[in-house]
Amino acid sequence: MSELEQNHIFEMWLSQHKALLFKVVRAYAFTAMDQDDLFQEIIIQVWHSIPTFKQQSSNTTWMYRIALNTAIKWLSKERKHTQSQETLDHIQAILQESTIEMDERLTWLYEEIYKLDEIDRSISLLLLDGFSYKEMAGILGISESNVGVKINRIKKQLITKSKQQDCHGI
Amino acid sequence: MEFDELQKIWDSQTREPLWVINENALHKRILAKKNQAHHITTISELLLLFVNSIAGGLILGINFFKHSESLFLYIMAAWMFLTALYVLMSRFRRLKGENEFDRSMLGELNHAVSMATYQVHLSQLMRWNTLPIGILSLLSIWEGGKSVWLALGVLAFFALTYFASGWEHRVYTNKKRELESLQKKLEKEEITG
Repeated sequence: MSELEQNHIFEMWLSQHKALLFKVVRAYAFTAMDQDDLFQEIIIQVWHSIPTFKQQSSNTTWMYRIALNTAIKWLSKERKHTQSQETLDHIQAILQESTIEMDERLTWLYEEIYKLDEIDRSISLLLLDGFSYKEMAGILGISESNVGVKINRIKKQLITKSKQQDCHGI
Repeated sequence: MEFDELQKIWDSQTREPLWVINENALHKRILAKKNQAHHITTISELLLLFVNSIAGGLILGINFFKHSESLFLYIMAAWMFLTALYVLMSRFRRLKGENEFDRSMLGELNHAVSMATYQVHLSQLMRWNTLPIGILSLLSIWEGGKSVWLALGVLAFFALTYFASGWEHRVYTNKKRELESLQKKLEKEEITG
């Protein structure tokens, strides 16, 4: 594959799936600096993955797979942003807030997802975006029954938390 | 709220992107990252390869041209060449195995654990490697009838190297443990469920 073709696919994927990438970044990174850092990592991995994309799955599934794998590995890095902290004053932010105001219930949902462990966060995103058990099992590399067990636990946890939240009037 | 309601909130709110990408800044940062992306394993391998080959060659050359009869220095040169050869073969094996992992999350984690295991083995091996090289150096000093102070200096140098490489080894071991705990977390219900 030529670099020109790779560039073309990359630009197309980025414009079509940036909302998906933002969801992953929002669920895995909390501060603006970390969000920028993770977004960069994901973008680099997406770029590298283009020649290995065999079209056995949809673009969306592939992008999710790359984004979640990168986010999980990025989380396990020690002292992620020490390097970028040093040069914070000199760098331009990559992600800039859009004009859309986020619903407070969505903010709450992201916060709850953020409290889950690394793996469960991935499952929550895939679940909320309507992926089937089979697709999730393919993305995560585990069995469908294992996915089912994890989903039941996550659903229960989110419903309980949302009920507690309702009691507080939100 | 039931899960269906959460799903509705999610669907209605996440279609529009949360952020706008500053493409110019993104491009610059990716290029900068690409330029500084030296892979730790590759650097360690190449460093070990060059240091051992060059040091082995120098020892052999000096020993040969000075018509020295030090058997220990010849053994040390041979040992260093063997170490370089071992590192080279390990590197080939590692690169050959790179594409054996699928791109699922578990596959990626298995790959990361395999890389971490490789780094742990390499650092451990190199740590233990300071012992034969240190012993051979001391023996050649003794054979050449050099001063006790020189022998003590060399001993201190190798002791320091041994402890410093222990620190490096612990960094890799901790990294490996972290990845293995993630791997276990992902596989947990696979066994119990």
